[in-house]
Order: sequence, then structure tokens, then C-alpha cells
Amino acid sequence: MNVKSIFLASALTMTLMTTGTAMAARDTISIVGSSTVYPFSTAVAEQFGKTGNFKTPKIESTGTGGGFKLFCGGVGVEFPDMTNASRAIKDSEKEKCVANGVKEIVEVKVGYDGIAIANAKTAAPLKLTRKELFMALAKEVPDPAKEGQLIANPYKTWKEINPELPDAAIEVLGPPPTSGTRDAFVEMVMVTGAEEFDFIKAMAKSDKDKFKAVSETVREDGAFIEAGENDNLIVQKLQANPKALGIFGFSFLDQNADKVQGSAIEGEVPTFEAISAGKYPVSRPLFFYVKKAHVDVIPGIKEFVAEFTNEKAWGPEGYLADKGLIPMPDAERKQVAEDVAAMKTL
Amino acid sequence: MNNSKQTVDKAAEKKKPMKPFSVHMNKDLQRRYRAEKWFQRSGIAAIVIALSFLLVLFASIIGSGYTAFRQTFVELDVHFNQDLFKNENIAAADYPAMIKDSLRRTFPEVKERRELKSLYMIVSPGAAFSLQDMIKENPRLIGTQQKVWVPANDDVDMLVKGQMKASEAEDNRRIKDDQLAWIEKLEKDGRLETRFNTTFFTSGDSREPELAGIWGAVKGSFYSLLITFLLSFPIGVAAAVYLEEFAPKNFWTDLIEVNINNLAAVPSIIFGLLGLAIFINFWGLPRSTPLVGGLVLTLMTLPVIIIAGRASLKSVPPSIREAALGIGASKMQMVTHHVLPLAMPGMLTGAIIGMARALGDTAPLLMIGMVAFIVDIPGGFTDAATALPVQIYLWADSAERAFTEKTSAAIIILLVFLICMNAAAVILRKKFETKW
Amino acid sequence: MELTSHLASQSFPTLPTYDFAASLDKTETQAARQTVGNPFLENPRMTCRDVAVFYGEKEAIRGINIDVGCNEVLAMIGPSGCGKSTLLRCLNRMNDTVPGCRVEGEICLDGENIYDPSVDVVPLRARVGMVFQKPNPFPKSIFDNVAYGPKIHGFTTDKAELDNIVETSLIKAGLWEEVKDRLQEPGTGLSGGQQQRLCIARAIAVSPEVILMDEPCSALDPIATAKIEELIAELREQFSIVIVTHAMQQASRVSQRTAYFHLGDLIEVGPTERIFTNPRHRLTEDYITGRFG
Repeated sequence: MNVKSIFLASALTMTLMTTGTAMAARDTISIVGSSTVYPFSTAVAEQFGKTGNFKTPKIESTGTGGGFKLFCGGVGVEFPDMTNASRAIKDSEKEKCVANGVKEIVEVKVGYDGIAIANAKTAAPLKLTRKELFMALAKEVPDPAKEGQLIANPYKTWKEINPELPDAAIEVLGPPPTSGTRDAFVEMVMVTGAEEFDFIKAMAKSDKDKFKAVSETVREDGAFIEAGENDNLIVQKLQANPKALGIFGFSFLDQNADKVQGSAIEGEVPTFEAISAGKYPVSRPLFFYVKKAHVDVIPGIKEFVAEFTNEKAWGPEGYLADKGLIPMPDAERKQVAEDVAAMKTL
Repeated sequence: MNNSKQTVDKAAEKKKPMKPFSVHMNKDLQRRYRAEKWFQRSGIAAIVIALSFLLVLFASIIGSGYTAFRQTFVELDVHFNQDLFKNENIAAADYPAMIKDSLRRTFPEVKERRELKSLYMIVSPGAAFSLQDMIKENPRLIGTQQKVWVPANDDVDMLVKGQMKASEAEDNRRIKDDQLAWIEKLEKDGRLETRFNTTFFTSGDSREPELAGIWGAVKGSFYSLLITFLLSFPIGVAAAVYLEEFAPKNFWTDLIEVNINNLAAVPSIIFGLLGLAIFINFWGLPRSTPLVGGLVLTLMTLPVIIIAGRASLKSVPPSIREAALGIGASKMQMVTHHVLPLAMPGMLTGAIIGMARALGDTAPLLMIGMVAFIVDIPGGFTDAATALPVQIYLWADSAERAFTEKTSAAIIILLVFLICMNAAAVILRKKFETKW
Repeated sequence: MELTSHLASQSFPTLPTYDFAASLDKTETQAARQTVGNPFLENPRMTCRDVAVFYGEKEAIRGINIDVGCNEVLAMIGPSGCGKSTLLRCLNRMNDTVPGCRVEGEICLDGENIYDPSVDVVPLRARVGMVFQKPNPFPKSIFDNVAYGPKIHGFTTDKAELDNIVETSLIKAGLWEEVKDRLQEPGTGLSGGQQQRLCIARAIAVSPEVILMDEPCSALDPIATAKIEELIAELREQFSIVIVTHAMQQASRVSQRTAYFHLGDLIEVGPTERIFTNPRHRLTEDYITGRFG
């Protein structure tokens, strides 16, 4: 009967699988980490896989924090060899790595990413400051009537914040708290914006927790809309609603230049040149980290790092620039490339 | 008995016999017919609404996805310059230089460095790989001049397909005016055309939309689902048969039944977490592989198959069981010879519904590392792989405009697979049913 | 008791209601437990001694003593719920499949207690075949329906011999002439009466000693019924047959002995002719004269 044959086949696969468990070495590089670095890392991986003698590395987009968690899990084929990060490794993560036997880590800074605050091309371009963005998006803002007092954010339109801004309702689409872009936005825009107010800045010394709560908490009354991790979705929504602003990575602005435009922040429009020159204020460095213990065990790690730090890839004319990565200045690139070639650990 | 007496008494009280076609009854009859009509109409309306939603969905997906099945190609006169093949290794030759060289010769008027760079942008970075493949296949081409069709860059492709408008202001489009002029010239010379996009069906993922394909994901899904089917179907059927036919009815079997029903409703991400904990961290199976993916999907599918299996076993008439037992069949013979074949169509349907759910699910795969950029096409159960829905998810998240149509195209492929699976279910059922 | 009498009166509303409980005084109820007529035979095939069956707490039949003779048709009659089917299903241990069913007493086939723990039900059911109320052929071909029993019991592995068994069984069941040209067609495609005869052929293909029939004609039209009855008469020459029936005419036509059951008791047993012409117990008389159903 066919019932019997099905049972037989399943028994066979069961045994096959249990014997197949004893997997020895791995010949594919395994990379995890930030979704911001993912497009660049994958581009390098593809180039590396197609031109070299190695398999194409496998890259998972787990987010920076999730990447470190996996990366610091230990040494061995079941743990990733590299992790991408849209911020430098934290001390707590380093400690965790060391606790799990990952003692030698090579840090590779690869370039910068800008965060654009953009609106649809059909609307007028905006000129904003980080202070204004803080006032528009924080949950609690300084009371204009009473010096040194915080009140629930009363602003409904941009004009209420600055008479030069348009009389349009505040409506900002941004990524959820799980996203690295959101972290970077909060850190570079909200916190800096909050520090413009002296009494809030003073809080940073007197009451750290309060400062954190005030500067990092985004308003929840509907003016800030969490639009999900998908930046394409934010671009689409901006097109449909010209009054709204959106927060996303520079590469999406670059790819959708016909649909959306970046607002000037403190007089600087997010362009390739401005970010590269360090003029655009909302930009952050991107990194990846290599587990030194894996370098000669998993084939191709050195070569992959060399491919990434090659001028052809990360240089101003390289293919990563086409993907939206903003290269570091020449001197810095040279320095990092040297350190990496020597596998200089943290 | 008392009741019947009472009704008789009441009827006797009324005395006056009811006329069958009295006005009152007519009214009542009309009301009943109206109710029926109303019910039928709302049923039809519900179906029409559901169908129109489906139609809108299909139309929008196909509308935005069908263009992905075509790809713009550019014809180049490539000179496989002997000098560039100094190295023994064919793969190490400078193919991009050959592409650049042929573009320069096509447009000799372009001289300036910046201009040249935007000229090179017309052709996909993958063009060099197609040259490499040509040489690998036929090394005798070295030193010759060949006409080669290579894929155009994704921006050019978007322009040709009309997804990027040449009428926009120059600042607003990724294709600049000078590039536009070159493209027009190529088109006029018959060196630019759109063709069927075989790459999409034969290659794995890529960062370049024009090189990205679905085949790696299809194979990943296939291997995962194969494992899922081979494990979940026999285990599910065995569990259903045991619970329905052999297990005693007591507290423990009730508990198991409740738990199975609960499992069927558990969000799939939970199974991913379970798979991560057991298969990867505890058993040490390799991450991101169809093997682990299949096991996780098995966990997810099992309850569905068990529930469907039990339902179809229940629907087998008891007279068949009695007939078999009455002639001296053992319980096992009764089940395997009579009950199971009759229940099989229902079980298969349950299995296919479960598998279809497994085919479309990304959440559990996220936890076990199958949501990843994987270029190489998996060749077995322990190679790193993605799955179809994962590929859709990854492409939907990519910045490049051309990935939008690829996303829709991948959805079309997924839908085609689902339709095929359902058709297979129907065919299998028919086959099993007409066997007797 | 209340309930059953209710049911009885409601299903035949035209008849004058018959209150069974009231019609018996105490002594009569006691007497009902004592079977009228001699239930024992000199040379029995099957014997039932003090058989009682419980479904959970509920006692379905109690204290039944009856023999089944060789080459005879024993008809079991009685109103619904009287326990006749329950007893019938004890004879090949089909009651084993009912959860919570418990059988007390002793039922012997050729002197061997079939409820002895050492007895295997699988060969027992081959020796005591069964035909059910509703024709229930397997959804397989006519040939496979009949050949199934001999196959699973390993009677033969030889194709020709199997063909032979199928043919003789179908001939004995009086179905051969009608189906010999379409043995590979599905058994479910036959008419109701043919299906029931196919079921009989299926039962006799494993050469049983006793055939149990549980209202075999209740789902059939009169012509099919007549055919089955003829068949029963022929089969008596080889097998012992126990038939449960609601149709009293049927019992009188096909059986040699008749047993009348009432609410779990065997009220009266005796030669069929005597039971129908001269019932000794009042309940029997009331039943066969149609005073209550």
C-alpha cells in the first residue's frame, strides 16, 4: 500500500537527518547585523562571490543589537563570523563577547550614512533645525509661557513652532523603536535638539534619567506615525500625502530623488557631498566587526574584508557609493584599511 | 404523553378549522419567501465582494509585476583582448575593462572622466559576469571580437519600461540627460531591446535588480517543504489515527486534544523561536538551512494535519468499520485497509492546506536565519537558503526602484505555486476517490 | 420503563395506548424473568448461560439462557430496546468495540467459552459471521469484497483458488448470475438487495459456523426481502443462523425457533409455529397480535 511507502520514506529521511547532523566545517562566511549596513554588505558579498574563489557569504539582516547578540554568542562554526553595525560596539556588548570567549574583535569603519527628513517633491522644500524638530516631535516640550517648565507637546502645526515654517499640521512618518534608523534619529536630532534648551541640558548632569526621558521620548498623540521598518512604504506614503514628512536612510532618498526631497537641517541639504564632507548634521558612521578567531578557520574572511576595504568598493567612485554609502575622507580610509590589513583588534 | 394530550385539547378548543390558503397564511408564506430571497441575495453579494477584492489584488499585483518578466538588454561589440587574459585563472581577467572598452568604442565622442563614468552606468555591473561565463564555456573566444547582448542597468531598464519618466526634470531622475541621449542612440541603432528575463527564473538573489532571480528561493522553499511534507504527513496521519481509532478516551487524551487544537492557533513566530532553541542551539543543526526550516514548518503544520486527519477519520461511516471487524479483520487491518483509504482525501486536503500555509510563512524562518541575503542556489538540505516569501520580504525592503516590480513578480510566482498546490490537491483527491 | 412506553405509544398514535407497566402486577413482573418454554437444545452449536450485558451502569439484558442449534434459524423478536440486538452482538463479541460495554455470564461456541481471555476475537469473528442492518459493502470491487475475508485470514494465496472461493460464495448467496460479468465493478454500485446479498457472500466466504443477521431486510424493498428470505432458507442447510427482525411475518417465514425479548428479558422461546399460534406468555401474545409495538 502507498501508506506503507510513505511511512517508509519518512523513516528514511529521519535517519538521514540524524546522521547528517554531524556537520563539520562551514565554507560560507556568515554575517549578521544592521539592516542599514545590509545593502552595502550584500553588494560586497555578491561581488566577492562572483569574482573570487569563495562561496558568496550569507548575510542576515538582524538589526545592530541582534547582530551583536549572535556575534558574541561564542567561537565556532555555529556562530557568525562578522556582524554589521550602524553604531560602535557598546562596552556591555564587548563584555558579553569576552565572557563567551570572543576575545579578539576587529572593528572596521566603512563609511557614513545620512538620515533624511524628507517630504514629497510636490510640496515646498523645508528648512528645519534640530531644535524645531525636537519641539515638533518630543512628548514634552518647554512651556513657552513659563521658563523652565515642561508641558505636554501643544504644537499642532509647524507655524506654531516657527512663523517662517508653513501652516501645515505636524505629521511625521518614521521607523519604529526596533529600527537602527530610529535610534540614530533620536540620538542625533532629538537629543541635540533638546540640548538647545539650557535647563534641559542642565538635566543631563543633575538627573540623567529625566534627561533621557525628556529628550528621547517621541510624542504619541498621532503627530509622529510609526510606519514600520519598510522605508519604501514611507516614500509611498509621502507621495500620497505631500504635507507629511518622513524619516529614512539616505540611500532611499538617493534612489527616489524623483519622488521625495530632503529637508535642509541647519541649512544643509542631505546630499552625497554634504554628508561626505561632514556638513550634514544627521549622519552616522557604519561599521562591521570581525571575529579574529574565525579568520583562518572559515575560508575567505580576509579576502572579504579586503574586498570591502578596497577603493573599488568603498572609495568615492566605488560601487558602494552607487548604493548610497557615503565614503570616509581619504586619510581615514587609508588608516582603517591599514589597521584592518594588520587585523588590529579592539 | 401528557404533552400530546394537551396539544389535542388545545386543538379541540380552537374548533374553527384553519383554511389552508387563508390570507393570514399567505402573508406568512410571502414573508418566508422574502426571507429566503434576502438570504440568497446577501450570500451572492458576499461572494461578489470577496471575488472583487481578489480581482483587485490580482490585477494590482500582476499589473505591477508583469514587467519584471522582461529585461532590457544592450548589444555591445566586445573585444576579448588577449592582453587582459595574462593570468592563468580565467575568472581573474578584467572583464569590466572589456565592457568599458566596448562602450568607449561605441561612443567615441565621450572623453571626460565624469562623463565616462555615467556612460559605464548604462550597462549592468553583472555584464562582466556574462562575459566571464561566455569565456568559461568557450575559452577559444579569447582574442576575438563578439557581439554580446548584456543586461542594462536597472535604471535604464526602468526608463525603457516607462517606470521612470524622461519628461521629469533632470534633477528628479536617476538617468541624466547625457545618458538619455546615449540610450536613444542605442535604441535607434537597434542595440537596445527588451527580452524575456530568463535571469529572473534561473539565478539567486542579487543586489542588482537586473541580476536578481527567484530560483534560489524557489529551491529553498522546495527543499523546506519536502522535509515538511515527508515528516508532517506521516507523523500527522499516524497521530490522527492513533488518537481517533486506538487511544482510550480519558483525561490524558483529552488534554492532548486540547493542546493540539491550541497549537494550531499559535502564532508561527513561536515555532521559529522553538526551532531556534531546539534544532539550532540544542541539536546543533546548521543555521539558515532548509533542513531546519523544514523542521520548524513541520511543527507548524502538524497540528493542522492532525486536526484535519481526525475530522476525516470521523467522517468515515461506522458501518465500514463494523463490516471489517465483523468479518474478522483486526483493528489495524480495519484502519489500514478500509478507514484510512476512505479518510485519505480529507487528510491530503488538510495536509495541503497546512503546506500552503507553510509555503507562505516568513515569521518562523526569521528566527532561524533564513531571512538572509543568499546568492548561491542551494543544492541540498544543508545549504544556506531562503524561501519564496522571504525573498518577497527582502526585495520589498530594498531601496532600488526596480525591486518593486521584482517583488510583485515574486508574489505572482508564489501565487502560481499556491494554485498549483491546490490543483494538485484536487487531482489527488479525485484520483483517490475514483479508485474504487 | 416509563420512557420506553412513551416512545411506544407515540410512534403508533392510532393504536390505543398500552400502558405496559400498569398491565403487569408484581407477580407477573417477577414471572417475566422466568423464560417460558425450553430454551435449551440437545446438541447446540452455541449456548448462552446467564448472560447479562451492561452499558456502563445500565443493564441492557439480564439472565439470558438460550441455545442456538445446528442448521437452524433462530429468530429474535421484540420491541425496540428489548436487548435482542445486544445479545446478537455478544455472539461474535462485536460489543467489544462499544466503549463501556461489559458482558457477564458464559457464551460458548462448540463448548468453548468465547469470552475466555485466551480466545482471540479475530478468528472468532471468522467463525461467527455477521450481516448488518444496512448493506455495507466495502468501497471496493465486488470481487475484492468477497475475497477480502479469505485474504486476511490467509485461506489461500493461490489466485485460482481465491477465484473459486469467490464464485462459490457468490453462488451460495444467489448473486453469481447477476454479477459474474462485472466482478471488478464497485460493490457500492449494486442495488440495495444485491448489496445485502453481497454482504452475505462476504460473510460466508470465510466459511463461518454461525451467521448473525441484524435486521438484514429492514432497508430493503419487499422483492429484495423475499430473495434474502429464500436465501436464508437455503443457507440453513450449512450454517446456523440467528436473525433479529422487526417483521413478525419474516420471523414466522424463515425461522424454526423464535425467541421473544422484552426490556432485557427473554420472555418466551419455542418453535416458531407454536409461538405465533399459541403464545403462552401474555406479553408475547400482546406483541405478536400487534397490541403494542
